[in-house]
Amino acid sequence: MNKAFRSISMALDQLSDMVQRCQTVKDESFAPEDYDLFTAAGSTCIEQGDSAQVLSILVDEKNQNIVRCMGWNLLGPLVKMLLKKEDKTLPHCHAILLHLLEVCSPKELLVGLLEQVEEADSGSIAETITLLLKPLQTVLLRLGIRKASSVGMALSTLLSQVSRLPVPVTAEQEEDDVFGLCRCCSALLQFVKPFVEEIKEVVKDNNSISKDNELRVELLKFCMKSLSEPLLEVQLKDTDTLQRSPLRDFATEILIILSDIGESLPDLLSRNVLRRRKVPGFLEEEVRYPKESLACMSHLLFVDHIAVDIFPAVFSPIFVLQCNMEYIELLLSRTEENRLQKGLELYEKSLVRVEENSLPVDLLELKTFFSVPQNLVKVMTMCPDQTLRTKGLKVFQLSIDKFNTEAKYKFFRGMLKTSHHAGVEGYIIKNIKNQIDSSLKPGNSNDWFLGKHLLPLLRLVLCLPQGPETDLLQNLDRIMESLNLLRYMLIRDKEWDNETGIWTELYKIEDNYLKPMRTGLNMSKAHYEAELRSTKENRKIGLKEAKASVCSVTVGNEKLPNMTPETQIQVLQSALFTFDLIESVLARIEEIIEAKDRPQS
Amino acid sequence: MAAAPERQWSDEQLKSEEVPKKELIKFIQDSAAHSFLAEHKLLGNIKNVSKTAKKEQLIEAYNQLFQSQRFKGTEPDAPTEELKAVKISDAPKDVKTETVDEGPPKFTKSILKKGDKTNFPKKGETVSCWYTGTLEDGTVFDTNIPATAKKKKQSKPLSFKVGMGKVIRGWDEGLLTMSKGETARLEIESEWAYGKKGLPDAKIPPNAKLIFEVELVAVD
Repeated sequence: MNKAFRSISMALDQLSDMVQRCQTVKDESFAPEDYDLFTAAGSTCIEQGDSAQVLSILVDEKNQNIVRCMGWNLLGPLVKMLLKKEDKTLPHCHAILLHLLEVCSPKELLVGLLEQVEEADSGSIAETITLLLKPLQTVLLRLGIRKASSVGMALSTLLSQVSRLPVPVTAEQEEDDVFGLCRCCSALLQFVKPFVEEIKEVVKDNNSISKDNELRVELLKFCMKSLSEPLLEVQLKDTDTLQRSPLRDFATEILIILSDIGESLPDLLSRNVLRRRKVPGFLEEEVRYPKESLACMSHLLFVDHIAVDIFPAVFSPIFVLQCNMEYIELLLSRTEENRLQKGLELYEKSLVRVEENSLPVDLLELKTFFSVPQNLVKVMTMCPDQTLRTKGLKVFQLSIDKFNTEAKYKFFRGMLKTSHHAGVEGYIIKNIKNQIDSSLKPGNSNDWFLGKHLLPLLRLVLCLPQGPETDLLQNLDRIMESLNLLRYMLIRDKEWDNETGIWTELYKIEDNYLKPMRTGLNMSKAHYEAELRSTKENRKIGLKEAKASVCSVTVGNEKLPNMTPETQIQVLQSALFTFDLIESVLARIEEIIEAKDRPQS
Repeated sequence: MAAAPERQWSDEQLKSEEVPKKELIKFIQDSAAHSFLAEHKLLGNIKNVSKTAKKEQLIEAYNQLFQSQRFKGTEPDAPTEELKAVKISDAPKDVKTETVDEGPPKFTKSILKKGDKTNFPKKGETVSCWYTGTLEDGTVFDTNIPATAKKKKQSKPLSFKVGMGKVIRGWDEGLLTMSKGETARLEIESEWAYGKKGLPDAKIPPNAKLIFEVELVAVD
């Protein structure tokens, strides 16, 4: 019974003694040694589990000055004990905390609490935050009208820690919330509520709020930072996949808060399109509205349909596309797969709203309408993930379909001049063929894919960049599409109609394209046939290495071992088949031309 | 396309030290068509051109340029270099969707409350309005008017530049016919609203005719 009483620890003794001594000190002029003793003894007591005794010392009326000045130093050990969640000590520790929150200086408490948040190790971030959010809120509210910068500091510290938490990927992971991200996000929403309400009150009373209102600015920073981390990282699940989603709620609330503090979502969306440059304080504006955060916001609105009911349904889809191009450009210029995924989704969703053939040519004068396709080509040709490459191509074609005829023309011309990738060029040339085909249909004629503009475009298509020395295999995609296009035109556009002008241009095409192609083809075939023969002979003789490898393969600066003669034969054979393919179309074209030259029988 | 450049130096000025070779070269390079520059051997780095071209040649080229009017943009075919170094607009542009007159307007307006009949918005000016949008069956798909009058005091009307293609065409055209203070009912055919695609996000089905009650509160 009296065992507990008899085992009062030394630390508790020290604490009681010190406190008694200091009760008589006037004007709170305590010596530094007093602070140290209080902190050391108090901490030890708490760590040893004597929290009940510490509590009674701290709540004693006579000790209030001491507690007010020194109490906050106990926050460290206190929080550690609270996180341990021992039944024995928990209620007392909580009571100590509450008392300190009431009595100590808010500024000092803030420092102490944020220190605990910052120092939390990765395993206990979520626990620490969920424990300390209410205390932090209490302290901040005690600061009254001077709270803004402290609120900002707290939010920034909290978000930095939250963004260290792993982001759930599947719906199951979000439900399980093993690392606590969802819990923290929900708790953060509760945390900011009173501050948002305060701003709403200001708006209510004055019918408006100054853009520079400090608290408003801190809340804006919080929203912008949240959009960047964690929201840009998160893949939100729709209601069918996950009915209750804390992350979806978090995203929704962030957008609503933005609206509540006076930021119009349409204005945010169109910031990069409508802003004027070189406005005083311009750089500050840039910092206040980071593009990455706005990109996330746009994705939330248009792909995840978050808070879409607070976004006005009156804007023209072309304008919305124009605004979103800025964000699509940003997302597609990154290499992380989830950024690319979001960029492609946003692009697709923005394009789908626009009618076919409706985007005017002046849009192509805007930087983003040129840089986004360039980024898209990089994704289509170089992204390691096949689903992204495929999706990239799909969106690429979708974007082409939305341009009007003149814009398509200008776009194709630009792409042919700048892409330097045979696959992409081939794809563009196929599109050109489709446009010519469409233009030849009754009622569709236009100046771009018929008439005077077509021929300059064709000159870009029907050319061999290195003349007869052009590597036919490397440029296969492009060559096949060009030959197919030419064949198509010669068959479809009868000589006596000549709507496309191809027949009058033919002699030039023969000289500049078909003849060098024929020469190159013959040369390549002869060369590869010779190589094939010698490789077969070498194999017969049993030579280990073929004399001159037709090709060597280097991957990541390491040359792969030379191919076996069998493999080499296969490669050479395959090349020859390819040449046959080119040959077949070329021969057909030559046939059609010859038929024209023959007199009518 | 900029207006044709003007002569800024007289012959005397050109011949004198007042106009250095490099300045003259720069002007010609900036103003003349590519083919003109090629013919007069004035393409390339200004330093190099300055080394190879005599002042008399430059003066002659300058005069010829104005005689022949072969300025940039007067040639039909843009050369490859031009595209590669294409001056892509960094300054955001207000891109107007070309509105060709295709027949009768695809909206009707009935005035519910008269405006001041004096302040009509012009293209490019900022207008502010309260609105409610409904489908033909009466479903309200969008509004910016809060539920209570008190809350309306705390909200802001929607602001945007009218006549610039930022909103659906029915709005652009409709608002230009309204004066400050006017409340009108705009019935907009789908072609001047969201057309075949509709706006599923906002519960607007394809080919939907939209009805808006709009109050024009302010003009710029």
